[in-house]
Amino acid sequence: MQHMSTGERLLRGVLITLALIFFLFPIFWILLMSFQTNADILRIPPSLFFTPTLDNYVALITGELKTASGVLKLAFMQNLFNSFILSTASVALSLVLAVPAAYAFARYKFRFSEDIAFTLLSFKFAPPLLVLLPLTIYFQQIGLANTYIGLIWVYQLITLPLILWIVRGYFEDISPDIEHAYRIAGHSWAKMFFRISIPLARPGIAAAALLSFIFAWNNFVFALVLASADKQPVTVGALAFVTASGIQYGQIAAAVVISIAPTLALALFAQRYLVEGLSLGAVKG
Amino acid sequence: MSALDHSAAATATKAATPARRRRRRQRWLPYLLSLPALLVTVWIVIPFFTAIYYSMLRYRLSLPQLKGFVGLDNYLNFLTDGRFWYTVQVSLLYTVLTVVIELVLGLGIAILLQRSTRFNNLAAMLLLLPLMVAPALAALMWKLMTNPNFGVLSYLVGLAGLTDFRWASDPSTALFTVILVDVWVYTPFIMVLLLAGLRSLPKQPFEAAALDGVPKTFVFFRITLPMLMPYILTASLFRMLESIQQFDIVYAMTQGGPGNTLTVFQVESYLQFFQFTNVGRSAALLMVLWAITYFLSNVFVKNWLRLRERAQGVAAE
Amino acid sequence: MYDKERDLIDALARRQIGRREFMRRAGQLGLGAAAMTGLMGQAMNRSLAQDSGFDWKAHQGTTLKLLLNKHPYADAMIADIEAFKELTGMDVTYDVFPEDVYFDKVTAALSSGSSEYDALMTGAYQTWTYGPAGWLVDLNEYIQDEAKTAGTWDWDDVLPNLRASTSWSGVPGEALGGEGAKQWALPWAFELNSISYNRRIFDEMKLTPPKDLAELMETAAKISKDGDGLYGVGVRGSRSWATIHPGFLSGYANFGAKDFNVDGGMLKAAMNSPEAKTFTTDWVKMIQDSGPKNWSTYTWYQVGNDLGAGASGMIFDADILGYFQNNGDTKEKGNIGFHAFAANPDAKQPTPNVWIWSLAMSNFSGKKDATWYFLQWATSKEHDRFGAVEMDMVNPVRQSIWDDEDFKKRMEQNEGYLKQFEASAPGAKIYFTPQPLFFDVTTAWAAMLQRMVAGEVPVDEGLDQLVASIDDQMSQAGLQ
Repeated sequence: MQHMSTGERLLRGVLITLALIFFLFPIFWILLMSFQTNADILRIPPSLFFTPTLDNYVALITGELKTASGVLKLAFMQNLFNSFILSTASVALSLVLAVPAAYAFARYKFRFSEDIAFTLLSFKFAPPLLVLLPLTIYFQQIGLANTYIGLIWVYQLITLPLILWIVRGYFEDISPDIEHAYRIAGHSWAKMFFRISIPLARPGIAAAALLSFIFAWNNFVFALVLASADKQPVTVGALAFVTASGIQYGQIAAAVVISIAPTLALALFAQRYLVEGLSLGAVKG
Repeated sequence: MSALDHSAAATATKAATPARRRRRRQRWLPYLLSLPALLVTVWIVIPFFTAIYYSMLRYRLSLPQLKGFVGLDNYLNFLTDGRFWYTVQVSLLYTVLTVVIELVLGLGIAILLQRSTRFNNLAAMLLLLPLMVAPALAALMWKLMTNPNFGVLSYLVGLAGLTDFRWASDPSTALFTVILVDVWVYTPFIMVLLLAGLRSLPKQPFEAAALDGVPKTFVFFRITLPMLMPYILTASLFRMLESIQQFDIVYAMTQGGPGNTLTVFQVESYLQFFQFTNVGRSAALLMVLWAITYFLSNVFVKNWLRLRERAQGVAAE
Repeated sequence: MYDKERDLIDALARRQIGRREFMRRAGQLGLGAAAMTGLMGQAMNRSLAQDSGFDWKAHQGTTLKLLLNKHPYADAMIADIEAFKELTGMDVTYDVFPEDVYFDKVTAALSSGSSEYDALMTGAYQTWTYGPAGWLVDLNEYIQDEAKTAGTWDWDDVLPNLRASTSWSGVPGEALGGEGAKQWALPWAFELNSISYNRRIFDEMKLTPPKDLAELMETAAKISKDGDGLYGVGVRGSRSWATIHPGFLSGYANFGAKDFNVDGGMLKAAMNSPEAKTFTTDWVKMIQDSGPKNWSTYTWYQVGNDLGAGASGMIFDADILGYFQNNGDTKEKGNIGFHAFAANPDAKQPTPNVWIWSLAMSNFSGKKDATWYFLQWATSKEHDRFGAVEMDMVNPVRQSIWDDEDFKKRMEQNEGYLKQFEASAPGAKIYFTPQPLFFDVTTAWAAMLQRMVAGEVPVDEGLDQLVASIDDQMSQAGLQ
C-alpha cells in the first residue's frame, strides 16, 4: 500500500496527537469536573488536583439532590429515558422510511425523482423556530401535543433527510451489476434488496444512523415547546442544574458524561459496520 | 439511465407477459419506495404556510390591538434596515468560516486515520465524542472553561502570555471564540463522513498510481479529492444547513453580543419571537433565512448531481 | 397524631413559643426534621382553616396544573404542597422547567392558547406582554370578592410597592399601580438591588462598604489594584434586559434619570438626559477599571459564582444573589456582608429596582375559581412564612414575615441583611416605564452598554444613537 518515510510518519503522529488533544481535552476536563464538588470546580486558578467524589453521579442516579435547604427531587433518569425513546424510535422509523427511498433515488430515474428528493431535503432547512408556533397550535388541536408519537413524528424532520441523503450516496456507489447477477439467478426484487443492496450499503447506513441518532439526541427545542416536563430529553434535564441559587457545574458535567454514554455505546457497536468500508472497495465498479 | 433498465428491456423481448407485469411494477416501484418518506414529512408545509402568513402580519403579541395584514411590509422594511443586512452578512461569514475550517480539518483528520488500524479506529471513535455533547451544554462548558477566573483555557492561554484574552466578551475575538466551539463540536461530523467515504473508495486507481510512482500530492489532488467530492459535498451541505441556522452555541456564549457583533439569523429571530414577541418580524426574518438556505442547497445539490453523473460516466467507461 | 405533638405544634402556630423552643421540645419528643416540616404544614392549615368561616374545601377533587421555573421558590412551594392538598382536598401537578428555557416555554404555551396550565410563575416585566396579550386574568376581581377570598389572606400585608409593581392598566407609559391598573400577578417573593460584599476581603484590605457611586468606584478600583487576582465589583453585562434591571437601573434611578419621558401618552426615550449621561459614563468607567474581564458574558450566575468563589470583592446586584452565595455550598460561605446603597450622595434614600417572582392565573384555564384558591394559599402568610423560615423563599413579600422573630433570627447570620433591607425597602420598586417594547428596549440598551465598555463608541454619542433607534422603534410600533 502506502510507503511512508520516517519524517512523514513522525509528522502524522504529531498531527494526530494535536487533533486528539484539541478534541479530547475539553472532554477530559468535563470528565474531571464530574468528580468534583462545585467549590473545587470554582477555584482560582483551576487545578488538576482534587479529592474525587461520586456525589454528582449519585445525585443524578438516585434523583435526589442534597442542598443546604433540603433534599430536592431530580428527574434526570426520566429525561435520559425520554431521550432514549425519542432518539431510538425516530432513527428506527427514519431508517424504515428513508433507506428504501434512498435506494429509489439512487437506482431509478423517475418523474419528479429529483424534486421529491430535494423536497425531502428541504424539510431539513425549515428553521424550527419558523414552524414552532403554528405547530404547537395544530398539535393541540389534533391531540398530538405532549405525546411521544407526536414528538417522534416531528423528529423525522431531523433524522429522515440526513439518513436519506447520506445513504443515497452509498447506494449510488454500489455497482448495479451485482444486483443484476442476483436477479438473473431468479431471486425476487425484495430478496435482492435485503440480501445484497442493504448489506453492501451498510457502512453508509451505519454512519447515517449514528449521526442522525446524535442529532436527535442533542435536539431540545421541539420537546421543550411541544411537550410537558415528563417528556423532556436530557438536554433540557441537564439545564435544570442552572438555578438561581447557583450553577451546579459538577452535576452538569456528570449529566454530560452520562448522556454521552448511550451514544458512545452505539458508536462502538456501529464501528464494526463503519470500518467495513475498506473491504468493500473490492466489490465496486 | 442505469444498466438495470437495459436488462429489463432485454428480458422483455424474451417473455412478454411476465415482463410487462414486471415493467409495470418497475414503474411504480420507485414511487412505492420513496413516497412513504415524503408522506410522513410533507405535513410540515401546513405550519410552514401558516408561518408565511404570519410574516405578512403586523403582529406583536404584546400589542394585539395593532394586529393586521401588511402584505410585504415586513420584508420591505428589511431593505433599508442596516441591522438586517448585518445579520445577513455575519450569518454568511459564520457559515463560510465554520464550513471551510471544519472541512479542511475533517478531511485532514480523515486522511490521517484512513488506514483501518486498531489505533486509528479507536481514535476515530474518540474524536466523535465532542459531537455527542449537546451544543447547548458544550457552550455552557466552554463558557466556564473560558472564564477569566476559573477557566482552564483562560489559565492555559495566560501561561502562554495572553493574560488579557477576553474570548467571547470582546468584539474582536467573539466570532473567533464561537467558531472555535463550533469547530470543536462539528468537525467530527465531517470527519466521520469523509472517513467512511475514503475507506469505501475503490483501490485500483491508487494501486496503479503507486506502481507508476506518481507523486503523492498529485494522487491526492487528481484522484482522491475528485473521487471523494460527492462525500465532501454531502457533508458540507449538511454542515452548511446547520451552520447558517446556528443558535445554541452563539446564543449560550454571547446572546448575540458584544454589542450586536453576533446577531446571526436564528439569534435575532429567536429574540424577536420569544423575547420581543414580534411574531411578524420574526417570521419574515426566518423566511429570508429559509430562502437563502434554499438557494444555497440548490447550488450544492446541482453540483452534487453533476459530479455523480460524471463519476458514473467514468465508471461506465 | 399524638396529642403532645399536636399541642406543641399548635402552640407554635399560635406563636406561643418560638421556633427554637419548638425545635428543642420536638427533639425531646423524638420527632425528625422531615416529620416536623410536614406536621408544621398541617398545623398552619388548622390555623388557616380555623381563623375564618371560609370554605377551603369548595373545590375538593379538582386537579390543577402549574407551570414552574426550577427555582428555590418553587422548591419551597413543592415542599409544602401536601399542606395545600390537605387543606382543600384538591390535587396539584406541576411542570418544572429549567430557568434557562422557562420563559420560552411560557411564551410557547400561552401564545398557542394551551389550556394545560392553570397558574404559572412570572416576573412583573413579562406581565407587560402577557397581560395585554390576553393571556392572564386580572386578579382584582378575585381579590375584591369576599366570597372567594379568605378573610385571613390579608392582601394589605403585602408590601405596597410590590402590589403596585405587579399591576398595570396596560396603557403604555401609564404608572404601575395607577388608576385602572389590573392586577396581573400576585407577588410571591422578590429581590432588590444592593451591595453584597466579601467581609473577609474587606477586612484584610481594611475597606468599608461604599456609600455612594464615587466610593463604589474608588473601593472597586482599589480591590482590583491591590487584591491578589481579584476584581472590584461584579455586575451583569450580557446582551439582555437582565443587565439593565439590577444595579445599573437602581443607580440610574437614584440620580433621577429615567428610561422614558411620558408626555400626553407619548413615550420619548430619555437615556441621553444629562443625568443619564453622567451616570452611564461613571458606570462604564467602573466596569472598565474594576469589573469582571469577561463582563459582556456575565449573567446572574457568573456574578454570583465570582462572589461565592472569592473572585470579586463585592457585587451590586440582587440581595438574594449574595444571600445564596452566603448560605450555599461555596468557598466564601458565611463571609458575605450586605449593605444598602444609594448611588447619588444627595439622594434621600436608596432606589433599588426590584425583580418580583409572582404567580399569575392563565386566562385559558378552565378552573379559574379553583386556581384562585391555590394562588391564595401560595401567597398566604402561612406559606410565605414556611418558605421564608424553613426554605430559601427570600425575600418574603409580606411585612408580617419581616416582623417575624423566627425569620429575623434566621437572617441574622447574614451580616447586615436586615438593616440593608430596612434601608432599601421604602424606595424598592420597579423603576422602568411599563410599555410593550420593554424587552426590545432593554436589549438594545444592554448592547449599547457593551459597545461603550468595549470602547467602540463614546458614551455621549452611544446614548444619542440609542435614543434615536429606540424612538424609531417606538414610532414603528405606533407608540409615538
